[in-house]
Amino acid sequence: MRKALLIASVAGWTIGWSAAQPQPDLGSEQQRAAGKILYDQYCSQCHGEKGDGLGVAAPYLKPKPRDFTRGKFKIRTTPTGAVPSHEDLKEIIRRGMPYTSMPDWPQFSDQELSNLAYYIKTFADDFEDPAAYGDSLQIPSPPSPSQESIDRGRQLYLNMGCVRCHGDVGRGDGSAAREQTDDWGYHLRPADMTKPWTFRGGNQREDVYRTFMTGLNGTPMPSYADESTLAPEDRWPLVDYVFSLSESPEPNYASLLKAVPAQGPIDSEGGLEQFETAPLARFPLVGQIVERGRNFYPAVVDVEVKAIYNNEDIAFLVEWNDVFAETQGSNDPSLAVPAWDPEAEDKFELLKPPAASASPSASDDPFADAEAADPFADQQQAADPFAEDQPTAATSSSVRATPYSDAVAIQFPQQIPSGNPKPYFVFGDAQKPVELWFTDLSNNIPQLYLGRGSVSLNPSDSGEPYEVKSSFDQGRWSVFFKRKRTSRRSISFQEGGFVPIAFSVWDGFNHERGNKRGLTSWFSLYLEPSQKPSVIAPMVQNGLTILVLQVLIIFGVRRKFAQRTEE
Amino acid sequence: MHLYVLLPILAVMLLLQWRKVGMLVWLFVYWIGIFVILKYGFTTPVPQSVISLYMGIITFALIIYISWDKKRFRAVVDPLVAFMTRRRYTVPLVLVVVLIPSLVATSVYLSRTAPVQAPFFARTVHPATPASISAFSTDYDLATLDNPLRPLESDDPQAFARHVANGRAVYYENCHYCHGDDMTGNGQFAHGLNPIPTNFADSGTIAMLQESYLFWRIAKGAPGLPEEGGPWESAMPVWENFLTEEEIWEVVLFLYDFTDQRPRAREEVH
Ligand code: HEC
Ligand code: HEC
Ligand code: HEC
Repeated sequence: MRKALLIASVAGWTIGWSAAQPQPDLGSEQQRAAGKILYDQYCSQCHGEKGDGLGVAAPYLKPKPRDFTRGKFKIRTTPTGAVPSHEDLKEIIRRGMPYTSMPDWPQFSDQELSNLAYYIKTFADDFEDPAAYGDSLQIPSPPSPSQESIDRGRQLYLNMGCVRCHGDVGRGDGSAAREQTDDWGYHLRPADMTKPWTFRGGNQREDVYRTFMTGLNGTPMPSYADESTLAPEDRWPLVDYVFSLSESPEPNYASLLKAVPAQGPIDSEGGLEQFETAPLARFPLVGQIVERGRNFYPAVVDVEVKAIYNNEDIAFLVEWNDVFAETQGSNDPSLAVPAWDPEAEDKFELLKPPAASASPSASDDPFADAEAADPFADQQQAADPFAEDQPTAATSSSVRATPYSDAVAIQFPQQIPSGNPKPYFVFGDAQKPVELWFTDLSNNIPQLYLGRGSVSLNPSDSGEPYEVKSSFDQGRWSVFFKRKRTSRRSISFQEGGFVPIAFSVWDGFNHERGNKRGLTSWFSLYLEPSQKPSVIAPMVQNGLTILVLQVLIIFGVRRKFAQRTEE
Repeated sequence: MHLYVLLPILAVMLLLQWRKVGMLVWLFVYWIGIFVILKYGFTTPVPQSVISLYMGIITFALIIYISWDKKRFRAVVDPLVAFMTRRRYTVPLVLVVVLIPSLVATSVYLSRTAPVQAPFFARTVHPATPASISAFSTDYDLATLDNPLRPLESDDPQAFARHVANGRAVYYENCHYCHGDDMTGNGQFAHGLNPIPTNFADSGTIAMLQESYLFWRIAKGAPGLPEEGGPWESAMPVWENFLTEEEIWEVVLFLYDFTDQRPRAREEVH
């Protein structure tokens, strides 16, 4: 299959691909041995001692650590189906794969990277086969983008079918997005083009060019190197379009949410335009892995938040990208989550049996010893009163069903702390509770929760009520929260004041519920005063005071030391 | 630390000790030097509030230093008086009198128009340990607690290696998301955490701590910190909820083994 592909496209590749290596470069005995020492120390815990991707950490990771025995690598300059070049391997180890557990290794010397690459090649026979190699793509220097090229890129994006997987505005929510799997059968989300910093292969224009030219082996992300599909002069326009979908190649995470005065009354039916003047704050979400019900691979990586206020009300707009709106089923912050069970997780993550070529033999069944891999399974199970609350997903169908809906919560302290101590950021503590402005997006009912720690989250009807309105459009949730600005039953939001704020997001599709969620650290909400006080007055006041003081001092000194001046 | 800031300033300060200069110049150089070190000398910027606090203390200390000794005091005050009273200094005096208020006005302008910053909490990274903790239904006296597995290092190297290997499994199942694969504190979730996870490879962390300290921090996590450590904001989990006592001691062994460091020895109390 791979060879057929190779031959079929050779004609198209002769231009723009550099010469192939005649003989595979497998390094010397010593180089491989040196590579093995590094590998055993730094890589085997994930990739496995035998390179089969079954290290001790593997059951907790998604995407799974690469199984090197299959010879399938995502980030390459070589044609689709081919093994990566020696340089490709070194480069991906050095740079790592952002937003996965594959770390970057900037500390390794060129020599060490090379030795590691040689050792990795020993795991798959393909590296010994000269026919498995292909010429490396030469990426020309990118021309600067123009409106014209972006428009052309848009056409290509639609015509070539990128839209089917990556979605109309690139949020990874295309019509076929839900059923994408890698060759091992695990669900794989098409990249979110609005967040280039999450691209596994890098956020440079050259990286995107390489991605669609060579494809990502082992995934549905195809190669478009064939010139009859994508003409060479159309390649950079496609890149330009991809980058036009994001505001910046970097996330520019915020630590402060600035609420600005609203133009008029705040209306829950008033739409998103009301937030136009409010600055956007992007907060990183991480998996809740602090308390029981751990979430090792949250589906949502950040929330984008805006806030406005007027004399009566304060309103928040919380937005994030999601492949699909889960509005069936239900969700709630206090749902019990059974102890982490790699086997159950895996069953649920697998959308279909692994592709034929990659079907694991009985001996390396990834789940065979999954139970043993969890050292505290029993411990947790015993402590969990709701242990029988197992997921009821229908795992037989190709698209997984979920009993859990998407949901979101904004977290505030129940009382604004006067000094430093805040409530514990993971859902409060016994002395200092938090309020969760929760809503289940299947019904949009605002339900306040009081958190005194992750084991004590309870619905509350004593706080100040708030309104919720939500919409889902093209792979993006927009949830609007509105509440009275001042309250006697809960915190008040004062102009010029700071309030600790945090967020939780549940992706029902990823089986997130209860404590299994994505969450943020504490950040600060600041209400920018509606009247900016004048700067001139305090400037003049301070300046004059100092001036007068100086003159007084000088005259005082002169009087006291008058005689000396006469000398 | 930015050595290119630190070293020149220290050099100038040293030079002043050798060469005789006026007390006033000395005072001036020290004050400005310390300010510049605080402001620009650190890789992670020191917040303005902390700088102001330190500079207040420094100013106070310098004033005490000069007024302590009559001669020193005169050496500072005399030139100032001369500057304010002698006729030939009139022009510079007027300039200074105008300059200082304008500087003050400018700084007021800058501070009022500066972008707002979130309130900052200067947490103590290594607060003192409590005298004792209870975990695993046992009370531990932290002053005398030792890693029960450490003696195996010399007594039974094979058993020791097995425990280190278990510690490695514990680490890569539980800790690398935050503390990183190579223990430099740059795990997959580190970008979303504040304070950031500890970098164990740094010689300023576990190498200067005793194993009992690590046992406390791992068993009790962030909520076990005293107030100055900011127990409400650190993401360090309470591992007694997930691990056994032995597993905690094993992962402690592994932290030192992987980073090629030794725990600090306990001072003998006589
Ligand atoms: C904490 C786990 C972890 C460690 C440690 C780790 N990796 Fe990975 N690695 C991964 C994961 C997960 C992936 C797959 C990411 C993906 O598919 O998006 C991966 C992928 C790879 C790939 C494939 C890249 C591609 O283009 O497909 C290579 C090569 C690799 N790792 C080499 C290494 C080497 C060499 C080391 C040690 C120096 C190492 N890894 C350490 C988790 C890890
Ligand atoms: C059949 C579905 C499918 C089609 C069609 C498709 N992609 Fe992808 N694409 C994916 C998947 C799935 C991933 C994520 C792979 C991963 O995370 O390992 C991806 C990833 C990417 C990435 C990110 C690569 C990285 O470094 O992480 C880019 C850029 C990209 N695709 C561009 C395109 C472009 C441009 C087109 C059209 C010319 C296209 N894709 C067509 C499924 C598809
Ligand atoms: C969710 C993220 C997270 C996980 C998982 C995590 N830690 Fe931490 N850890 C932190 C943070 C953040 C700090 C720094 C703040 C503090 O001291 O509490 C820290 C601090 C520590 C310290 C104190 C070091 C010092 O110099 O004071 C030790 C020891 C430690 N962690 C060990 C571990 C071990 C062992 C594990 C796994 C069993 C682990 N951590 C898992 C986030 C984490």
